[in-house]
Amino acid sequence: MFSPYKFEIESLNAWFGSKHVLKNINMKIKEKAVTAVIGPSGCGKTTFIRCLNRMHEIVPGAKVSGRVLFNGMDIYNEDVDPVQIRRKMGMVFQKPNPFPMMSIYDNAAAGLKLNGIRDKEKLDSVVERSLKLAILWDEVKDDLNKSGASLSGGQQQRLCIARALAVEPEVMLMDEPCSALDPIATAKIETLIRMLAEDYTVVIVTHNMQQAARVSDFTAFLYLGELIEFGSTKEIFENPRSELTEKYITGEFG
Amino acid sequence: MSRLIDIGLEQLASVVFRMGELAHKTVSLSLNGYIEGTNYYEEVHNLSDMLITMADEAEDKAFELIARFQPVASDLRILKSYMKITYDFARYGRYALDIAQIYSRLGGLKECEDWIKQSIRHMSEKVLSMVRTSVDSLKSHDTNLAEILSETEKQVDSMYFEYLDRLVEKAPATNRCTISSVLVVRYLERIADHATYIGESIIYLATGEKIILR
Ligand SMILES: Nc1ncnc2c1ncn2[C@@H]1O[C@H](COP(=O)(O)OP(=O)(O)OP(=O)(O)O)[C@@H](O)[C@H]1O
Ligand SMILES: [Mg+2]
Repeated sequence: MFSPYKFEIESLNAWFGSKHVLKNINMKIKEKAVTAVIGPSGCGKTTFIRCLNRMHEIVPGAKVSGRVLFNGMDIYNEDVDPVQIRRKMGMVFQKPNPFPMMSIYDNAAAGLKLNGIRDKEKLDSVVERSLKLAILWDEVKDDLNKSGASLSGGQQQRLCIARALAVEPEVMLMDEPCSALDPIATAKIETLIRMLAEDYTVVIVTHNMQQAARVSDFTAFLYLGELIEFGSTKEIFENPRSELTEKYITGEFG
Repeated sequence: MSRLIDIGLEQLASVVFRMGELAHKTVSLSLNGYIEGTNYYEEVHNLSDMLITMADEAEDKAFELIARFQPVASDLRILKSYMKITYDFARYGRYALDIAQIYSRLGGLKECEDWIKQSIRHMSEKVLSMVRTSVDSLKSHDTNLAEILSETEKQVDSMYFEYLDRLVEKAPATNRCTISSVLVVRYLERIADHATYIGESIIYLATGEKIILR
């Protein structure tokens, strides 16, 4: 059954203990497109994307209800293995977190090695391919044995993206991937995000309104755990329907 | 808490509002001169030049705000609308100048038959009222006033065609009066069009809807 949606989120709720942080979210995320999640600090953006790959439940006391259909199948079904789900979704975080004791090569190959792949030729080709996809290859191809920690912040973030891409995920979940980067590094990552959207489904959390406006096809605005508005990025940034969205994106509050 | 962009938006609005008043004054002066028989070409020329300068100034300000603040939503719509409206104001000035020029080259209505005088006078009043309404609706962001413009524009349009029909019927001979008046009604019709463009911009600015009033 073909659906243009990678995710169909139905009545999603999430809690930390008794704290209700996501309230009845309904949203459909298009395949091979960039969806941005915006909203003031603490509104539940991180929690939201962590519900998409079953990371939320790792926190002690955390709870989820509702359905998240991924390729049409509910990832919260009893018979679904969360590890399998997480494997299909690469994650990139606010702070670049390459494995500091590992070389650039080993960072990029880490996921494959974890999956038991040892074949040198296979590893070489995947490392090269992912570093190229992450637009990092030209900058590091002669220093693959250097430590990942020796790279600049922007390079480290692209290394993390390469590491995530190496295991051929279907989705990239990015939580403020540029907030620690300078404008040039940010521009590189943004270009990369647009390129990735040709083959992957990208969900990006960002505090930077202009970044959401630049890179995304769709924008979701969360406020106090509720999805206030969701629509095409053009519409949200030119003519939002909700007064709250208007106030947030024009900087009247938040 | 007021935002940094608000200071710039206020400066821009003040230029645009001043332009509106000036544009109204320009059209009013030019039409008065034409109808009452006074040559205001120099004055209208100066006013029209001022409008062009102010339109450039407003555009620069709008671009600066875009570069500095990357505005979105209503902020962005205001900038887009103001840029269009300042162009429409500059066009008011330009047509007013055209009318003043017709007067100084061909003369006005003095030798015309009474019905011609009346028609032009009547149409001028309508059009000047539209210019007034467009300036007022801008200040209040009033979409109702903008809709009134659409109604009046239809009236002006039919006055325009009725006038041409009557002219062909009743005054087949070409003379200074007919040429001068035909050109003037044409400019009046154009001014009325720009008034409705302003109405469209006001509606877009206030609601985000792109509608066509003509
Ligand atoms: N481990 C946790 N235990 C308890 N409460 C938590 C935990 N993590 C987050 N929260 C709370 O859940 C709510 C949503 O947090 P979340 O991290 O999803 O917000 P966010 O939108 O990502 O914020 P930010 O923009 O600051 O990253 C907040 O009120 C937060 O305080
Ligand atoms: Mg967060």
